Order: sequence, then C-alpha cells, then structure tokens
Amino acid sequence: MEYDTIIGLEIHVQTKTKSKMFCTCPTGYFQKEPNSHVCPVCMALPGALPVPNKRAIELCMLMGLATNCTIANEIFFDRKHYFYPDLPKGYQISQYKNPICSNGSVILPNGFEVKIERIHQEEDVAKSTHHTSTSESDYSLIDYNKSGVPLIEIVTKPCIRNAKDAKDFATQIRQIARYLNISDADMEKGQMRCEPNISIQEKGRWEEKDGMILPLGDYKLNPKVEVKNIGSITAVEKAIEFEVARLTKDLEEGKPLIQQTRGWNANKNVTEFQRSKETADDYRYMPEPDIPVIEVSNEDIERVKSELVELPHEKIARYMNDWDISQYAAEVISASRKDASYFENLQKLLSEKLEPKVAAQEAANWLMGTVFALEGDKEIDMNDLSLLIMKFKEGKITKGKAEEMLKDCISNNKDISDELDMFEKESSQNAGNIQDIVKEVLDNNPKAVTDYKGGKEATMGFLVGQVMQKTKGASNPNDVKNILIELLK
Amino acid sequence: MIIDVKHTAELSRITLTPEELEKFTPQMETILESVSVLQDVDTDSVQPMKAHVKFEELREDISQESLTQEEVLRNAKHKESGFVKVYGKVFGDIEES
Repeated sequence: MEYDTIIGLEIHVQTKTKSKMFCTCPTGYFQKEPNSHVCPVCMALPGALPVPNKRAIELCMLMGLATNCTIANEIFFDRKHYFYPDLPKGYQISQYKNPICSNGSVILPNGFEVKIERIHQEEDVAKSTHHTSTSESDYSLIDYNKSGVPLIEIVTKPCIRNAKDAKDFATQIRQIARYLNISDADMEKGQMRCEPNISIQEKGRWEEKDGMILPLGDYKLNPKVEVKNIGSITAVEKAIEFEVARLTKDLEEGKPLIQQTRGWNANKNVTEFQRSKETADDYRYMPEPDIPVIEVSNEDIERVKSELVELPHEKIARYMNDWDISQYAAEVISASRKDASYFENLQKLLSEKLEPKVAAQEAANWLMGTVFALEGDKEIDMNDLSLLIMKFKEGKITKGKAEEMLKDCISNNKDISDELDMFEKESSQNAGNIQDIVKEVLDNNPKAVTDYKGGKEATMGFLVGQVMQKTKGASNPNDVKNILIELLK
Repeated sequence: MIIDVKHTAELSRITLTPEELEKFTPQMETILESVSVLQDVDTDSVQPMKAHVKFEELREDISQESLTQEEVLRNAKHKESGFVKVYGKVFGDIEES
C-alpha cells in the first residue's frame, strides 16, 4: 500500500519584550532565581487583572506581516482550560476563533509554498522539573518565572508532505523571527518550540479542502499524532521521519492507530507515548471577560509594517539577480541579518572602486572563503578588509599573503592598515633589488634555466615560486614572471 | 444525561467515587437545566456587550519589580530551594525538564 504523509506544524515562539504578556514582571528568566519574576497576575492570585502588553501584540502582528497574513482589526482573547501545575490560573489566556493573524504563507527555498492558517497570541506556562523515582514520592518543582511570558503560536495548514519541507519551514520561521528581532528563537533555550502533527493516508483516498484533510468515498481517515519536546531544528526532521516509519509499520501490521501526543526522545532518537490527545471541547474555551476587545486601526498596522526589513528570501533573490551571486553563497550570507548587512556594506565600500557586480562577487568570495572562517566573536573592520581586498585586486598582494595577514591581525590584535603599510614598504624595497634576487635564483638553479631554455615552459612556475619565497611573498608574481622572461631571453 | 460529570471531573483531575458521581450528576443536571433557559432567549438582534479599548491605549512594555521569592512562596504548601513543590506524578505526562 502506498501512503501520503500529511504534516501540519505548530510553532511556538517567545517574543522579545521587557515585561510579561499580561503583567509588568520582567521576562528574562534564564538562569534567574526561581520564582523571583512573579506577581499576583502571573501567579493567578484571586482578583488580579491581566493587562495586555502592546509591544507583544505588535511583535505578533510583525510576524504575521512578514508571513503575508491578514491582520485582524479587532483582537479577542479566550480562556483555554486545562488543569496542570504549570498553569496557575487553571486556564491559559489564548485566542480561539479570532487570531491576530490569519491566512499567510511562506515560500521555501525549493519554491514550495507553506500556507499559514493563523498566528495567535498567548502566554507561556511555568517551568516544571519532574523528579520521578520508583517510590511513591514522585514530585515536581515549579518555577513561575516563565509563566506569562508572551508566546505566539504559528499554525500551518496540513499542507506539508515531507520532513525536509517541515524542517525548512521551521528554519525560515526562526530566521524571520531573528531578522525582525521578534525573538532570539533559540530552540535549546525553549524560545522556539516545534510541534508537528503527522498522519499518513492511503494515496488517492483523501483530499485537502480549505486547509482540511477530508476522506474520499467510504475511506476512513487515519488519526494524527502530535509530537512534542523537539529541541532542535534537525530533530524536527528526524522526529517526523521516525513517526512516518512507525505509523506505516503499525498500519501494515494491522495495528489500530489512535490519536495521541508523543514526545521526542533526543537521546534514543525515538518518539514515546505521552497521552491520548484532548479535543478542543475538553479545553472548554470561553471569551476572556477580563480583557476588552482591542480595536486595531489600519494606521496601527501600517506603523508595525514600517518595522519590516528585507527578509532573507528577498535578499537571496536580489543577490542572485543583481550580482550573479551563487544560490549557495547568497543563502549562507543572508542566513543572519548581521552577516547580510556586513556583506552589503562591504559591497558598497568596494563599489567606490569596482563595478557593483565585481564588488559584490569579491565581497562574497572573501566572506565565504576567508572572513567567515576567521571571524570569532570579533568583527573584522570593514575599512581594513576593503583596503586589503583592493590591494589584492590591484595585484599588490597575493590572496594567500592577504589571508595570512588577515589571520595574523585577528589573532594577534594587529592593525591591518599598519601591516599593509609595512608590507608595501618592504615590497617597494624588494622591488629595487628584485632584479638581484631573480639573478641569484637563476644562478642557483642552472638546471631549471637549461630546462626552460630547452623548451620546458613549466619550469617558469618553479622559478617564480623560488623568487616569491625569497621575497616572502612581498612581490607580485606577474612582475616576477616578466622579469624572468626578460632575463632568460 | 446532559453532562458527563465523570469526564468533566477527570479534566479537572478530580477523582469521584461512584457514590459521589451518583449524587453530583443529578445536582449538576438541575443547575444546567435552570441555566439553559438563557439558551432560549433570541439574541440575534442584540449586539454583544463587550468593552473596547484602542490599540494605542494598551500598556506600554515596561517591566517593574516583582514580588520577592519569599512573598511568592508564602502560601505554597510545599517548597524546595525556591521552587513550589508538587507531589504526585501528574497524569503520566512528560514535560521538558
């Protein structure tokens, strides 16, 4: 039997605000004393009133605008009830029927369009650490610092068909979040969490309609599985691949499938059963009576829109079209906003002397070949780098020597322009006695001279190399070659 | 039966004995029946009564001092090293730890 894989992704992203979603407690809980960022609102003391954070909602809108969503003009909050120690109120303030952003899309590098159903605003829950043992004294330790941190949930339609596209989508969402400073989106720190919904269906027995998977004829759809606890982008792909294989095997062995939530175990590379999934009815959603309806004007949306910047996929297209940069280089350079802006500024600087396209390609070559490999936490001064690249382009320094100089300057904290000055002084001194050095090399290598004169032109490379070695690279190989040709006539 | 009391109790992690279930079910049904008269009211032409606020009037993102850890934990029945301590395995769920 042949099956289709049907995947929808839910991605939670903690947005970067100073205060929590509904109270003024600080959000930065990482490595802080437990329960030190908690107030009556996020601890759910009776009578506490949640007051929505404007910036948090702006960041939710910004994510929606960056993913081509429609932004709602009225914002409603709802209560989602479930009973768990990490949720002090007994419900989470979320959005049910009316999310802030809806009907968006993202185009993956391979051209596939992932449709986004909604992006809604909610609040994070507390962090619980479980201590289980074989005895009856199992317990959990709860830290409410994370409770109430702004969280957005991005929900795709079940339109993804393979694990690689799911991974690419998650990568792109993370990139957008970082580019727009919506979130640091570090999955290891829990700032971004991916939960794929996966099912497999018999080929040709189902259809997708308005973002719903519907059976054809008398076919009964197989239930879906939700996978939680995925701690990295690569695990998104691995967990889906594991789950598809597991579901296929169960189906073929005639085992009944049940709708369930499973957890990814990164040590064993398997998913494990957690619970049978609760339905929307079980959450007993109701409108949040403590928060008024928020009226959003088109001017408000326009103001948020002004925070949009050119996004990675737009940069990649521009680099490739305008400057003939390879797709691979364009992707690497635009991966972070910092690298992309370094590249663009370097290109601008080099354009003062070079053709824009040549400047871009030179900048890309140097970043990909040298700078990214050398750069640690210290950024290479762009003026110095452009100076070095220009010296190379003018043929005053070899690429090898230039790279060596760059490396030396970074690791030994030297000034590139000083080093270049020194190098040029040496070069001009050498230029004076380069004739002498060439003569010396010829005298020391009579066999090479005979070979060359006898028609073995390849010997020229050897002779040039000898001269370059003696001048410690401080001469232009082309000049050396010309002098050699002259003297060997 | 208009309400599944057992299921509702389970959602709130409350264990009911068969006796309690038998006692509470008719009580809750009576409550729901009494309240259900509201369902019959025709509200088609009635605007929902909801307070409105303009986006720009929302709270600015400024953080303020929270309660102290001591204050936060004052009412906690069990605590350990600054955490609230909860006993029992919570319905077999595995959260990230």
